[in-house]
Amino acid sequence: MKRHISPALLTMILMLALTSPGILATEHDTGTPAELVAAYDSLADSILAVKQTERHMVQSILATTFSHAQATLGAVQKKMAGGENAGAEIEKLADLVSQLGNEGDAAVAAIRKRLVEGGHHHNAQGEKDGIYDEGFVIVTRAARKALLASAGNIARMAASPNAEKLKAEWSAVATQYKSLVKGD
Amino acid sequence: MTEGSDRSALSGRLRRAPALLALGGACLISHAAPAAGGTGAGRFHFVDVAAEAGIDRQVHAGRPGKDHLLDSAGNGVAWLDYDRDGRLDAYIVNAWKLAGSEIVERGRNALYRNRGDGTFVDVTDGARVAGEGRWGTGVTVADYDDDGWPDILVTSFGPNLLYRNRGDGTFENVADRAGIEAPAWNTGAALFDADGDRDLDLYLARYIDCTLEEVLAARPTLSWKGVAMVAEGPFGLVGGADRFYLSDGDGHFEEATGPAGLLDKGLGYGFGVVAVDLNADGRLDLYVANDSDANYYYRNEGSGRFREVGLWSGNAVDRDGAAQAGMGVAFGDADGDGQIDLVTTNFAEDFTTLYRGDGKGFFEDVSDMSGVGKATFMSLSWGTVLADLDNDGDLDLIIANGHIYPQVDAHPEFGMTYRQRNLLLENRGGGRFVDVSQQAGPGFLVAQSSRGLAAGDYDDDGDVDLLISNLDAPPTLLRNDSTAGNWLTVVLEVPPGGGTAIGARVSVALQGRTLARTVTSGDSFLSVHDPRLHFGLGTARGVDRVRVDWPDGSVTERISVEAGRFLTMRKLREDKIPPAPDAVNSGDPP
Repeated sequence: MKRHISPALLTMILMLALTSPGILATEHDTGTPAELVAAYDSLADSILAVKQTERHMVQSILATTFSHAQATLGAVQKKMAGGENAGAEIEKLADLVSQLGNEGDAAVAAIRKRLVEGGHHHNAQGEKDGIYDEGFVIVTRAARKALLASAGNIARMAASPNAEKLKAEWSAVATQYKSLVKGD
Repeated sequence: MTEGSDRSALSGRLRRAPALLALGGACLISHAAPAAGGTGAGRFHFVDVAAEAGIDRQVHAGRPGKDHLLDSAGNGVAWLDYDRDGRLDAYIVNAWKLAGSEIVERGRNALYRNRGDGTFVDVTDGARVAGEGRWGTGVTVADYDDDGWPDILVTSFGPNLLYRNRGDGTFENVADRAGIEAPAWNTGAALFDADGDRDLDLYLARYIDCTLEEVLAARPTLSWKGVAMVAEGPFGLVGGADRFYLSDGDGHFEEATGPAGLLDKGLGYGFGVVAVDLNADGRLDLYVANDSDANYYYRNEGSGRFREVGLWSGNAVDRDGAAQAGMGVAFGDADGDGQIDLVTTNFAEDFTTLYRGDGKGFFEDVSDMSGVGKATFMSLSWGTVLADLDNDGDLDLIIANGHIYPQVDAHPEFGMTYRQRNLLLENRGGGRFVDVSQQAGPGFLVAQSSRGLAAGDYDDDGDVDLLISNLDAPPTLLRNDSTAGNWLTVVLEVPPGGGTAIGARVSVALQGRTLARTVTSGDSFLSVHDPRLHFGLGTARGVDRVRVDWPDGSVTERISVEAGRFLTMRKLREDKIPPAPDAVNSGDPP
């Protein structure tokens, strides 16, 4: 969400203000015209809704990534069961777990950076309290640390896969993920 | 070497009495006797001799108030032997002086030829390497056209410069012809063989996407701790997308960022770059220090393809999973376990990070337990190197410091200054570092806003000296007069057409252990260290074996080498292995 109202929206509001009979009729009233207050109120609803939409967007990114990771885990386990080399798939799984910790890949990080650049901090108070890294929406600092550690542990198994260890690490990832998205 | 020694005479002897002993592709050049060994506190002693050595070019840095980050980002420095006389020459990158929106002076880069007596002569004009009036940022040195002469790539805010060494003491700028002018805010660069075809490809990091008009119009608009207005960014500004260029082997480069897997999707604010093999698979990987973003570790997958694996390999963020403000980068075996470790320098009120490598491409942030974190927390750090300054056999950590906001000086309550002392962290063994800067002589008491740092033995006395660039001031040249142990310096030579030494790994075996170094085209903060590889040997009188693993897979070895020498290891033409599409690991050692 950007700090500035879009030019199109601003134009619409001004047109509304200039053409409103209510404004013309209240030349002795020094208060903010009711129509403008109503328009701003409506805009506030939109802004707040967009913030909620942002949360849903990031939640979708996480859900998609988690589903992708689950499927990749399945492919890894199938290969391991068949005695095949699963190194590449394990690294792919590590990539996806990293992306869970990062709320998406580097391209998403660039968008997050752009939002911060524009002055938007989804969890401004959480950032001040040290709970969230700058611009993060759902993944807390502690969860990020844990997920990146899990990603590293999984990637290390690419050279020497171990079904039990992989299962345990994935269990930690899944628990972390579910904890983050619960209530959404 | 103690202060007061006759370094001029010694230096003259060192370089002038080569005794060539060609053995299996190696040549031994005898030099002076080794320095006496020494142990105990206070053995470090550094003196700033830049002025008396003749390195006096003022380095400009925008406006005094540092209204834009370009004003305070600074420049790199390089050690190189441009005329191949065996002596180490110096190259200083320069920027512009501004006043408000006015360009007061376009700084000139400087090339200093080493006279061999501890002094330098400015040969910039004759060599034609003044920088064409560009705003220079960094420097990289490599023989990109394989003609046997080191060339200079100067990265710029604007079009880059590629100074091709003509071999007659002059250079020509061929960046346009080579296809790598790439105008932008270019910063760190690495020339290295990315695809195993034996020519040098190019990775270019970029910082912020902005125009000169924006730089000139900039005014401090960011509140620093609520007490002063300072330059905005990097947040608030768009990151520049890094680029990668493949060489066609005939002096021309083609951009191949996407096909190589090096798309900078995160638009990280890139600074320091190094190409080095981080997972011991024989291929050169890329590591990029990003300011305020996760660092990149591009693992070389072979055939010119890379994969970014930093987040799960452990070297992209700190131990808490947080991105830091990466500026410079150093590499080396900090803890003596035989594996390459990484160092990234960061912003003030954050620590320089030491990542311990396991040799398999995984890293762990050991800044706290190593002592590096505590020693570096208040400094704003840039150039860095892991080098053995006391020749005791382990790598010490040197860091150039300086804040980006002059405004901090008006607020001493925060415990920071704009000009800062540089740091010498002594390796006390096993990668445990102790800050000995206060006991390291007057050179480490100098306070400047330092940026680039290059290590090199310019006076050929067997210990490592330090060249450091400073904002709005001449560079610092810290002569190493420490009481040091024995040493061996390996000089790699590749005949014209014989490929590159960039990426060559040199290892020496002594007393049951192995020390190793790798040749790069640059690292630190946009800077280039001595291309000769220095080994501190402690009390050892020599080494059992010296081995060079050349980038094409061939190997040159020499056994039983005395200490206190410059040993030239020459790659012979017959060592060359026929080209292969991805031949990095295809050569069988002879």
